[in-house]
Parts: sequence; C-alpha cells; structure tokens
Amino acid sequence: MNDLIALILGSGTPLVYAAMAGVLAQRAGIWHLGLEGLMIAGACAAVLVTSAAGSLLAGLGVAIAVCVLGSALLWVVIEKLKANPIIAGLGLTGLGLGGTDLAVQAVFDSEATVRSEIGLPRLGAAFGPYAHLSVLVLAMPVVVFALWVLLRRTRFGLQLAACGEHPFAARSVGVSPPRMRLVALLLGGVLCALAGAELALGSLQLFSVGMTAGRGFMAFAAVIFGAGHPVGAAFAALFFSVVEALGIKAQLLLGNALPPDLLLALPYAATVAGVWLSGRLRGGGQSSGAFAELRDY
Amino acid sequence: MSGSLFAVARALAFVLLALVLCGAIFELAGYSSLSMFQNIAEGAFASPEALLNSLGWALPLFVIAAGVVVSFRCGYFNVGAQGQFYIGAIGSAFAVEWLNGAPAFIVIPAAILAGMAAGLLWAAWPGLLRIRSGTDEVITTLMANFIAGLVLIYVTSGPLKDPSGTGQVTASRPIAALYRISDSGGVSPAIIGLVVVSGVLIWVLVNRTAFGVLSSLAGRNPVMVGWQGGRLARLGLAGFLVSGAFAGLAGAIELLGPQGRLVSGFLPAEGFTAILIALVAGLSVTGVAVVSLFFGGLAAASLYLPVIAGLPAAAIDIINAAIALFITARAWPRGLGLRRVRRAP
Amino acid sequence: MQRAEAAEYALECQGVTVSFGAVMALREVSVGFPPGRIHAVVGQNGAGKTTFARVAAGLVRPAAGTLRIAGREVTTGAVNAARGAGVELVHQSFALPPSFTVAEAMEFGSTRHGRAPFTRAGLEARWRGHLDSLGVTARLRERVRDLPVESQQAVEIARALVTDARVLILDEPTAVLAPAGIATLFRRLAGLRASGVTVILILHKIREVLEIADTVTVLRGGRLIEGTVAARDIDAQHLAAAIIGSAPPEAATLSEDDRAALVGAGAGHAAGATIAAPAVLALADVSTRPDPEGPALDNVSLAVRAGEIVGVAGVEGNGQRTLVRACAGLADVQQGTITLAGRAATQAAPLARRAAGLRIIPFERNSEGLSLSSTLWENWAVRPLLLAGRLLALIDPARLRAQCDASLRHWDVRFTTTEQTAGSLSGGNAQKVILAREIDASAKVVIAAQPTRGLDVGATAFVWRALREARGRGCGVLLISSDLDELFDISDRIVVMLSGRIAGEFAPPYSLDAIGRAMTGVAR
Repeated sequence: MNDLIALILGSGTPLVYAAMAGVLAQRAGIWHLGLEGLMIAGACAAVLVTSAAGSLLAGLGVAIAVCVLGSALLWVVIEKLKANPIIAGLGLTGLGLGGTDLAVQAVFDSEATVRSEIGLPRLGAAFGPYAHLSVLVLAMPVVVFALWVLLRRTRFGLQLAACGEHPFAARSVGVSPPRMRLVALLLGGVLCALAGAELALGSLQLFSVGMTAGRGFMAFAAVIFGAGHPVGAAFAALFFSVVEALGIKAQLLLGNALPPDLLLALPYAATVAGVWLSGRLRGGGQSSGAFAELRDY
Repeated sequence: MSGSLFAVARALAFVLLALVLCGAIFELAGYSSLSMFQNIAEGAFASPEALLNSLGWALPLFVIAAGVVVSFRCGYFNVGAQGQFYIGAIGSAFAVEWLNGAPAFIVIPAAILAGMAAGLLWAAWPGLLRIRSGTDEVITTLMANFIAGLVLIYVTSGPLKDPSGTGQVTASRPIAALYRISDSGGVSPAIIGLVVVSGVLIWVLVNRTAFGVLSSLAGRNPVMVGWQGGRLARLGLAGFLVSGAFAGLAGAIELLGPQGRLVSGFLPAEGFTAILIALVAGLSVTGVAVVSLFFGGLAAASLYLPVIAGLPAAAIDIINAAIALFITARAWPRGLGLRRVRRAP
Repeated sequence: MQRAEAAEYALECQGVTVSFGAVMALREVSVGFPPGRIHAVVGQNGAGKTTFARVAAGLVRPAAGTLRIAGREVTTGAVNAARGAGVELVHQSFALPPSFTVAEAMEFGSTRHGRAPFTRAGLEARWRGHLDSLGVTARLRERVRDLPVESQQAVEIARALVTDARVLILDEPTAVLAPAGIATLFRRLAGLRASGVTVILILHKIREVLEIADTVTVLRGGRLIEGTVAARDIDAQHLAAAIIGSAPPEAATLSEDDRAALVGAGAGHAAGATIAAPAVLALADVSTRPDPEGPALDNVSLAVRAGEIVGVAGVEGNGQRTLVRACAGLADVQQGTITLAGRAATQAAPLARRAAGLRIIPFERNSEGLSLSSTLWENWAVRPLLLAGRLLALIDPARLRAQCDASLRHWDVRFTTTEQTAGSLSGGNAQKVILAREIDASAKVVIAAQPTRGLDVGATAFVWRALREARGRGCGVLLISSDLDELFDISDRIVVMLSGRIAGEFAPPYSLDAIGRAMTGVAR
C-alpha cells in the first residue's frame, strides 16, 4: 500500500504543479494548452544544466528562466498579437517538444536520453517508504494551499478572477487584464519549471525526449475537472495518477494477461472520463474554444 | 478582395516571423540557421525528385486538412486528426488482413472504406461527448490521439505483429504488392484520383451546400443559429464525422500506398501538420490545396535532413510549432511596449 | 496647484474629442459640472452619452481634450487616475463578475488597505458597515448573479462608493428599473447629494430629468447642445427639441405621440380598438422548468390576435426571456399548451414553429440575432436554408446573394455588398437586416424583444413603422420592452410580467401608476 501511495505521489506531483499553473492561467481567462511544452522544456533544462554545471541550483534556475520566457512568449502572442490561445498554446507545446529534442541532439549528438548524477534532495530515511521521494512532493500541498489563499482570499486573487470572468469589470476598477494575465502566466511558468524538474530530477534523474507524454494536457484537463479551483485541480491531477499507478500495478500483478500498451492508455481514458464528468456535473456547455475569429482574414 | 489579399500578406508575414524565431532557436542550439534552411529547401523543393517526394507527402496531408477545415468551420476544435489517421490506417489494415487472398478490386475499396469508417468512429465519440455533455473536445481529442498511438503499438505488437520483425519499432506484416496503390514515393494515379475526388467533395460540401453555409454560421455564432431553429448538435456532429472520415481515408492511403504496412508511431506529426495547414489556409479548401504543398515539402525535408545533411529532423517540428504559435494572430505587433501615455503636465 | 475646495467644477472637460474608427463619438465637448448637485446628461442613443461617461471615468482615452477633476488636470484614459481623483462610474449593463459574492464585489475594487489574506467573515465584517450606511440590504454572502436587478444596481452603487468618491456617474440607471425602483434610486441619489457627492446621471427620459436633476446637459451626434442649464429654466418641449434636433427622414412619419414617447416626455397611447380576430399565438397555463437564462414561467396565459400589438412590460429578468424562449421552442414547457396559427405547437420543434410563421427579433441583436463575423447574405439566408430542410441540398450562392440584396434594399439597409460582415453595420442597420429576414410574407406572428434598444431616433422610428405595418398586414405582434413610453405608444394591449407570471393586463388609456404598481407587485 505504501509503495502504491509513493508511486501515486511520485507521478502525481509534476501533474499537480503543472495543474496549478493551469489554474492560474484559467482564472485570468486563458486556457493554457502550452503546459505540456513548458513542462518538458523545464525538465530538459533542469537535467541538461544540472548535469553540465554540476549544480542543482543552476539547473533549477535555468529551467525557471526558460519556462518564464516561454510563458512571456505565449503572453505576447495571445495578448499583443491577438492569437487564438488554444492554437498558440498547442504551438508552444510543439516548440517545447521539438526544441528539447533538438537540444538533446545538439548536445549529445543522437542520444534520446540524458542522465543526471544530481537529483532533487530526497525526503530521506526519516520518511520510511517515502524516503526516495523528492522534497517537491512534500512542498506540493503547501504550494496548493498557498495558491488557494492567493486566489480565493486576497484582493489580488479577486482581481485575477475578475479578469477571467468579466474583464470589463476589472478594467472599470483600474485593473488591466492583460497585465494580470502576464503575472498569472509568468507565475505559472515558474510552477511548470518545478513540474518539469520534479518529473526529470525527482525519482528518475534522467531526461528523455517526449517524456511528458501528454502530462501537460492531463494537467490542463485537471483544471477543467477541478473547475479552476486549486484544491479541486490538485485532487483531479492526483486522481489521474492514481489511475496510472493502478495500471502499473495491474501490469505487475497480471503479467501479460492484459496488453500492457492498453493499460498505459488508462490515465488518458481517466482524463476523458474526468472532463466528461465535470461537464455533466456542471451542465456542460463550457468549452475552451469558440473561435469564430480564426477565419476572419 | 483587398481584404483577402491583406489576409494572405498577414499570414505570410507571420510565417516569416515564425521562421525568424526558428532561426534563433537553431542558432541557440549551435546549428547554422542558414545551412538549416538551405538544407530544408533542398530537401523539399530543389530537384524534380524532391518535388515529387514533397507531392507524395502533401497528398495525404491535403486530405486530412480538408477534413479538418469542415470540423473547424463548424466551430469545433477537433484536434484529433492524428488519432483518427492512425485508427483509419489500423481499420484499413484489418480489412486487408481479413480479406487477404480476395481480388484487389474488392480488397482495395473495402480497405479504403474500412479506413474511413474507422476514422469516423474514432471522431464520433469525442463528437458525441461534446454535443451531448459539453465535454471539452480539445481535451478528448488530444487524449484520443494518445490512446490511438497506444492502440497502434498494441496492434503492431499483437494481432497484426510481423513475426520476422526485429528491432525496437514494432510493425505489422507487409501488405501484398497486389493490394498496394502506390510505391513508397506515395504518388500514383490511384492516390491522386482519390485525393482529387475528396478535395472536390469537400469543396462542394463547404461552398455549395446548405450544410456549408449553416455550419459556418453555427461555427461563428451557434446562439444565433439555435434561435433560428437550427439543430446545432446535428451540424456539429456532422463536422466531427466528416473530418474523422477523411483523416481515416488518409490513413488508408498511407497504409495501402507509401507505408505498405503499419509501423508503430509512424508519421507522428501528420495530424498536427494538417491542422496547421487548415489554419494557414484560413479554413478555405482551395487554400488548403496550396498550403499542403508547402508543408508537404517540409515533411519531406524531415527525412532528408538527418539522412543527407546530418541535421536533426526535430528542426521541422520546431518550424511547424512556431508557425502554429503565430498563425492565428490577428493584430500587427504594434504598440509592443511603445504605447504612448499622455500624462498631465 | 489649485486647492480642491476652491474648484469651481467637480468635473470639467475641455475640447474632448473621441473617435472610434470613422465614427466621431464626441466632438470637442467642453462642459463643467458644479459640485454637490445632481446633473443630468441627456441625448438619444448614439449621442455620445456613454462615451462621455467613460471618458470621465478614464475608461476611454479621448483623441484630444483635457479632463479636470476638482480643478486638477488628470491623465485621460487612466481609470486609476480618475478613481484616485474621486470619480466613479456605474455602468448601464452592470460590471461586476457574476460569480462574486457581494462582499467580494466590494473588496475587488477597493483601494483601501485591509488585512490580506482575509477570511470570509473578516471580509464581511469589513463591508457590512459600508452597505448599511448606504441602506443596501443585499446579503454579503449572496452572489451577484442571484440578486434581483434593483439590488444588483444598489450593490453597483455601493461598489462605486468604496473609494471616497466625490463624483458619481450613473449610466442610464433607470432603464432597468420599475417606477417604484426609480423612486428609491432617486431618494438614494438625493441622499448622496446631501452628503456632498456630485451626481451625474446619464438619462434619456425627459420626465425623469425634470423630476430629479438640478441641471441638464444635452448631447446630440457627439456635440454639446446645452451645457448644465438649470433644470427649472427649461421646459419639456424645449428639451425634446434639443434632444431630437431636426428629425431624420425616417422620423417624418412620427406622430406627436411618437415624438413624445421617443424622449420619454409623454404617456401617449394608441387608440384602443378592440380586435376580435382569431389568436395567432396563444399560451394557456404554460409553466416551464427554470430556464438557464431566467426565471421559470408560472401559469402564463396570453393570446396575441391577428392584427394587434400586445406589449409585455416588466422589470428585466421577470421571465420575459423565458416567455420568448418558450414561444420559440427553446425552453422546456412542463405544462400548458402553446398554439401557433391555430395549431398545437407545445411540443413542436423550433424549426417547425418557424415553418408555421413564427418570427422572432431576439433580445440580443449581436449574439442572438446576427452572426457578426459572417456575411450579410449568410445571415439573411439562414432561415430559408434551414426551412428547406435538406443539409446536403446544393445551393447557388449567387442567387442567394441576389435575393438578399433585393430584400435588404427593400428594407432600406445601408450596405455596400452582401459579402460584407454583419459586424460592419451600425446598430440600426443591423436591426434592419434582422427585420428584413424576419418580417417576410409568410410571417404570422412576430415576437419583437427589445427591438429598439440602443437605436437612435431614426432607426427607432423605422422599427415602429415596421411593426405597425406587420400588424396592418394581419400579423400578431408581441412586443417585449422595458421602455414603458414605447409600449404605451404602440401597443394595443399591455400585459405585465412579474416573477414569471402575468401580473396584470391593461387596455388603453394606460395608467403609468397602475402598470408601475403591477410591475413591482404592489397592485396584487
């Protein structure tokens, strides 16, 4: 049981961090489909720099810088160039996936996997079966709570929510929605960097091309499932990793009785089910995309 | 008309901007962006063979993109073309497997129809979830892509596994030459015929039927069409199904044509590229025909780069992604930090 | 630097010019508002009143001109500068995030220092006193979207006063209120005036102007016609002339009653001919489930006969939307029957009702009526194409465009080509496109929901004429409006809606008093 929980926490933590970035953007009025790209960029930068410089701090610093820059780019494209957020987000994701692929090939020629000697600090023996988990796992509930306080219990949080829900209301009290969105995206960039660092330096200590495997999109789905609420989104993200962990367990227990590739599809199916359920519970209708303007050349 | 000229100019300008961004990324990664672009151009368009090769890549892309146009015009972000393409190829492969031994004039049409049906079904469930329960179609279709990729791995390593296959990438048994509709180049009269017929059908559907006008209105303003008594669910689902069927058709074409067998993880960027083509073309079917050629060239270059020039194929993914980032932009980058602020004296 | 107390004007603008694209919304407007009074700014729709209010509040940056608040020049186009100087604006369509609680709505726009992070109880404690002092009774935990329209407005005003506002601007605050609500609002504003706040009211009804305002300012076509004239020095007739100016050609058909109704200066009414024609639209004991867009209908019975205009009065949000949606087939009818052109239509699909001759001019021109980013001919062709029924039927766009062209010309729409988008038209022209589509030869019932909202005098006159012509051709017309003057002027009968019920039916001559009481439920 303990190892199952450890498995869930280990795979769920990156998802939660990315989902928190999604929550921030969502409340400011942006459907953030660039999470996947930011996450993998963060993972790649963290591993490459940590192993090259031999310093975890440098790795984390560069990962954060890269993700913040990527978020700023997304903001410019959405707010200044008035691009469609969904497509632009998917573009940023593609840029992250392709860019990390290129970076790995550029640095290590044709290897698809890079290892790092240094990982994130572990919880240590005092935590028993959870000793191998990183400190970011322990920090996760704190971050979720802090975000909840920030979003639901401060004036800043109210103003951010106003930007998403009724931008004109925000403007009429002198709050600039574009500026608030920039803040939300940049903060989200930091969280995505942490998500990537946890994914790559948490338990594995390696980066492989395409290693996020849709986790950023799952984090986005967790935002929808959790109705944009930090705690709800965190539980939704953990739910997805419960399903993933159960799939892995089932595979270990049943051997090849079930096709392993199809068990791997479980978290994706759970994501669909979660988003479907949230649509049912809330009467549906809410969609990330209404995009009449796409054709308005 | 000047409006659409402006639109084309704007699209070109943003593609250029995307290329500049790519150049910067290439330089950062330590590649010469000049030689990168030069090699891409060589791989795509520099010789008659390259051009023919690019056309081979462009044909299935056109079919998928034309289908995507229908769904996007209906107002739905069906980004599941990749999965529908895979499932189409799988459906087609099963049809060939089951009918193996029958004459080609039965097997080939059956395999093509099976591909279309499979793609249609794979688009149907996100479509139904969207119109019945309001489930966000961006997420469901993205997840459907991942699931389809895993189904492809399962099929090529299980039911249709090629026992003689070695190596990491699993693949199905090759299709008998009798049932192929082209060689590995992907250009043959049969494929061109299929693509032209598909293109004409979709053009008529979009530009010359009541569905074309109504779905476009519903895509831009579903509320208004609902007040007029239009059945939005039917229009929207039709969009999903049409785009799924044509993505499935492209899967069948790839299988029976250039690929000749199912390979796990083949053409992983096909669906995304097709969506880009649809967007760059401004959701116009004729536009898609032109833009497909450009992206077909890029796709062709993605094989040329690592083999001939020793450069990473990821460069093409980056170019595509950068174009996606900018292509929906609707404003010129004016006022970037330069906004004049009038202050009181 | 001048001292605030010495300032002659609480708010003053000099040479303010605003243009949106090719449209000049304000042209060199210079006017000053003395402190501690209630000022009315009046004009037709499109005269620039709202733009003026937004310039004063810093939401719109004028192309030229300066703004002085309490004698000090402030940066234009900066909300924080205007708020910092004490100017607050209450919008016509309210601007509070609907999901916020009342307490959150107070907090999010506050600039006062407070403990952050707060608790719910702390937040409520912080704002209870503020609401009490203004006599606002809304509960602090209630969500804005759940408030009735009067409380929502009261909360908006309270929100505007969280900073120590010295100038309060209200944009058309009476448009959403019943007569009794207007009286309460005016009492509240008089109280604010007594405490030294300068109130600027954007209005378009002369009756109300004369009731409350100390001074009157008239805008027409973006120009200043009269600047802060003392209200007692001006009479209704003079004011009406200033507002309308030389009437546009469309207004030439207007009767004296129409003119009075346009500026809210009269209680004109149609001659009350009793009509014995058969009902073309009849609702019998109709109840619906709660509709997502408004309260449920509760035992609504209503008949519209061929050749009459039935007006529906009521404070917005009392089931008018559900009524129209139920008629259109978009609401879930639980009991009762709907009859359309003599045939049962309770369960009929929306499209079948259209086929039976139902035509609707919906509430929201820009979302429910038209697809702004689509071309004119597509917008126009939507019903014929839907009624034809076959999705895969081949169409000839050139023929549709030609038909659309002829129809739009017949309805006097000003357009250049049927390929232009509906969004490129002005509000009045856009409404004419809807009229051209809806009032065709096969129309039997026309439901017009707020058909003149936001239209200038010429376009309003055009819509009235179109509705009267439809009546003349034997259509039954159901007119939903929150403008009582409009209803009094062109309805043959008026029913009043309150909380999803029919709260009364009135025949001419109409009594503002009786109808006003029915709207707030006092009459029952």
